[in-house]
Amino acid sequence: MTEQTLVPVLELKDITMQFGGVVAVDNLSLQVHRGEIVALIGPNGAGKTTAFNVVTGVYAPTNGQVQFKGQTIAENFPRGKMETLYAGQNKGVYTAKVWPTPDLITKKGIARTFQNIRLFKNMTVFENVLIAKHMNMKAGFFSAAFHLNGREEEQMRQESLKLLEMVNLLDLKDEIADNLPYGKQRRLEIARALATAPDLLLLDEPAAGMNPQETHALTAFIRQIKKDFDLTILMIEHHMNLVMDISDRIYVIDFGELIATGTPEQVQNDPAVIAAYLGVDE
Amino acid sequence: MSLTTFIQHILTGVSLGGAYALIAIGYTLVYGILLLINFAHSDIFMMAGYFMIFAMATMPWPIAIPVVIVATVILGVLIEKAAYKPLRSAPRMSIMISSIGVSYLLQNLATYLFSALPKGYPTIAPLKKVFQLGPVSASLVTFLTPVLTLILVFILMYLINHTKLGMAMRAVSKDYDTSKLMGIKINQIISLTFVIGSTMAAIGSILYFTDRMSVTPFSGTLPGLKCFVAAVLGGIGSVPGAVLGGFIIGISETFLTALGYSTYSDAFTFMLLILILIFRPTGLIGETVTDKV
Amino acid sequence: MKLNNKKTYPMLSIAALVVLAVLLILLEINKNTFGMAVSILQKSAILAIVAVSMNLLNGFTGLFSLGQAGFMAIGAYVTAIFSIPTETIDSVYYTGGLAPWLKAMKVGLDVLPGFLQISLGILAGGLVAAVFAALIGIPVLRLKSDYLAIATLGFSEIIRAIISSPQMDKITNGSYGLKNIPGFALGLDFLPAGIGTLLVPFSVAGLCIGFMVLVIRSSYGRAFMAIREDGVAAEAMGINLLKHKEISFIISSFFTAVAGGLLAMFMRSIEARTFQITLTYDILLIVVIGGLGSITGSILSAFLVTAAKEWWLRFFDTPLVIGGVTIPLFRTGFRMVIFSLLLMLVVLFFRRGLMGNREFAWADLLSWPRNLSKKASSGPKTGKGGKKND
Ligand SMILES: Nc1ncnc2c1ncn2[C@@H]1O[C@H](COP(=O)(O)OP(=O)(O)OP(=O)(O)O)[C@@H](O)[C@H]1O
Ligand SMILES: [Mg+2]
Repeated sequence: MTEQTLVPVLELKDITMQFGGVVAVDNLSLQVHRGEIVALIGPNGAGKTTAFNVVTGVYAPTNGQVQFKGQTIAENFPRGKMETLYAGQNKGVYTAKVWPTPDLITKKGIARTFQNIRLFKNMTVFENVLIAKHMNMKAGFFSAAFHLNGREEEQMRQESLKLLEMVNLLDLKDEIADNLPYGKQRRLEIARALATAPDLLLLDEPAAGMNPQETHALTAFIRQIKKDFDLTILMIEHHMNLVMDISDRIYVIDFGELIATGTPEQVQNDPAVIAAYLGVDE
Repeated sequence: MSLTTFIQHILTGVSLGGAYALIAIGYTLVYGILLLINFAHSDIFMMAGYFMIFAMATMPWPIAIPVVIVATVILGVLIEKAAYKPLRSAPRMSIMISSIGVSYLLQNLATYLFSALPKGYPTIAPLKKVFQLGPVSASLVTFLTPVLTLILVFILMYLINHTKLGMAMRAVSKDYDTSKLMGIKINQIISLTFVIGSTMAAIGSILYFTDRMSVTPFSGTLPGLKCFVAAVLGGIGSVPGAVLGGFIIGISETFLTALGYSTYSDAFTFMLLILILIFRPTGLIGETVTDKV
Repeated sequence: MKLNNKKTYPMLSIAALVVLAVLLILLEINKNTFGMAVSILQKSAILAIVAVSMNLLNGFTGLFSLGQAGFMAIGAYVTAIFSIPTETIDSVYYTGGLAPWLKAMKVGLDVLPGFLQISLGILAGGLVAAVFAALIGIPVLRLKSDYLAIATLGFSEIIRAIISSPQMDKITNGSYGLKNIPGFALGLDFLPAGIGTLLVPFSVAGLCIGFMVLVIRSSYGRAFMAIREDGVAAEAMGINLLKHKEISFIISSFFTAVAGGLLAMFMRSIEARTFQITLTYDILLIVVIGGLGSITGSILSAFLVTAAKEWWLRFFDTPLVIGGVTIPLFRTGFRMVIFSLLLMLVVLFFRRGLMGNREFAWADLLSWPRNLSKKASSGPKTGKGGKKND
């Protein structure tokens, strides 16, 4: 085994995210290794989406560190008003503030989808995917504006078309994104994320609002893209069939805190998890 | 600058600040609830100036003042119903454009009806009466404005913090959609906001123009801009913030003018806006909120 | 069929351009008989540049700047200073004279032919505006887009105040304004005297708008639209929001100032009052009527609105007497009331304006009669790239 496979692709260390007095994520640590499909589950409001937002640079964590392939991509400690307001743990362990904007995180190789689909609604399917190619464009502003980068533009277009073909959306390429049926919109959002050529894909409830058949198709789709694009996947999902079927490992959080982790079988039989989902008092 | 002139300027500045504060409240309340920069607010303020001119032409001031306030409130609420309400579900930019459209309309209407030439503002005799306090002398309006402002703000704060309607207002400003689901009558609350904002603008207009002595169709633009900056400076959405911002801008403007930099007093307001946006976009006493994604 | 269209449409476009050029030249030659039309066309072409610039920012990037009047003022004053003939400069700045360093620059530039000096002036005006835009943009574009509207509006008012301030007397001639600005005539020896009246504003407008269209059709243009559609998602696609918003704002401000320079040449004399906030509102009116997000809409609207305002609807401003009875409403200022009502009408009831977010296409125009009859029989149908009413 090489060094590379030992370093996790994604590692969260003691992440706490506090909004005013609300602790949305509480001292969460987790690891995702290369080639894995890991699920992050928990009841509504547990802090799953917030964790994604911390990883992708939308929020700066209140405390803790995020590493991507061994490199720190986010780090923070309670400062300013938070110094007194902070209600989490591990205060004083982290000392740096690292908070790149989300686009820089995407450039490093992490792509995501959103819980409430956020497509570029009035643009075509093709344009939605093509946009993702913009960040790696080599041409400067003026050469792009004067269309002197014809070859590059053509290549971006070809790649986008190829991607649409791989995810089976090619026939809809000129359709306005907003006019697609719901399931296709979800698929397009994943395709758009893939167009950034990520190593790690974060999916926020990809099966939300889908019926069992659609969910089943989605399961196959995720497996397929993982193989085709050589991905590592971290996924938030409420459909337990999908989660148990597809995940290598699962992390369960409740009220921001990690309450269980392990393989699907282990997690399924964990009393803490059952209690959290059934709402039993501890 | 001697102590006397210093005090004199402070007094003038606080008085101007009081008028600004009253106008700023209208901006901050509407922004808090609709997330709309109500560009028409400065022209509501300007129109209140004209209302006063016409009211005073036919009635004594104790009657004219309430008439002007009522007329201004009607105008404010009418604007909301006609130009903003139909756009509740439209993109935010449409509502902003609509408010600019209203501003444009009011200015053009005023030019058409009253001509672009300055119209003399009537004197309310008691307000103009000069008082002597030691070596400092100033007209009653100078003393009255800050006091009246503070009284109005206290009443408003009481309304917001201790009544059911006030609670509903706060709820809508915190979370529009949830409040709607909770059965709060949003339209009623929005109307109330415009009633309060217009009332304050009318009173502010009387205090402000009494000192300036004339009104033009464009009299509202610059004060309006300054008052919006005051609201941002204090923390948009917060009434005490708007008042604080109003006073800060009023006092600094007075001192810059006194020192001979009257042109730059406007530029100063703008610099203040840029500085606050760089260093404290949430304003002096505003809260930080993270947009949910 | 398709292949055929691919050839015919560009041909049609070229033909249309040629016809347009010929018409302009004809008008240019006979400008003394068509004074009104010429002046309206000049102004329309200038406002079309500003409208498209505003649309680039507003309709394509989803940002809202209200600084048009201010940026135009910058362009106008810089252009004026560059282009007022050095011989007459002292009579223009008759109170305090032009600042020595500017005078030295003007004397130095006199080695160049007049039209080059003017071009330099226009370019410099654009660049100054671009620098201001960049500086305002850095703090403001990080924040909610509302703040851009208020900051640019403030900027615009402040610029006006500064221009007319006594401290700026030696540069802007304070409240006296600047005059003796040369018009559009090229004044080249080998051309008939007076040539350029229409050709100059139209070719500058063509270049500016052409460049903006190229930008919009490039990968950057798509990035702008992505930001307009959903900033959070755009950022998650690796688009640096601040950088792209800055680019859009800078381009828009640059061309707005270029148009300001042309406006100075059109008016021949300028003062700070010319650049009041109502100027910005006039342009917003054009953009909204044309359709946010449609370049051809903005251009079309610039011509229609200007013609209506300066020509067709002039009668609103003059007393109307029918059969000896004076209709009371018609007097100075009524026209502008009508225009503001028109803006409100469009904002409230026809939010898509003339063109929505579609562009002019020959295909639509040619199939228009057919579509019209189809519409009558089978109800409304959205055109290519058209979207449902939002
Ligand atoms: N920007 C914010 N400001 C304040 N509170 C927030 C913010 N974002 C999230 N929260 C709060 O943090 C908590 C966790 O929210 P989050 O969206 O992460 O939950 P989730 O696990 O994704 O739930 P769901 O399954 O419903 O999507 C909630 O109580 C939420 O209200
Ligand atoms: Mg969630």
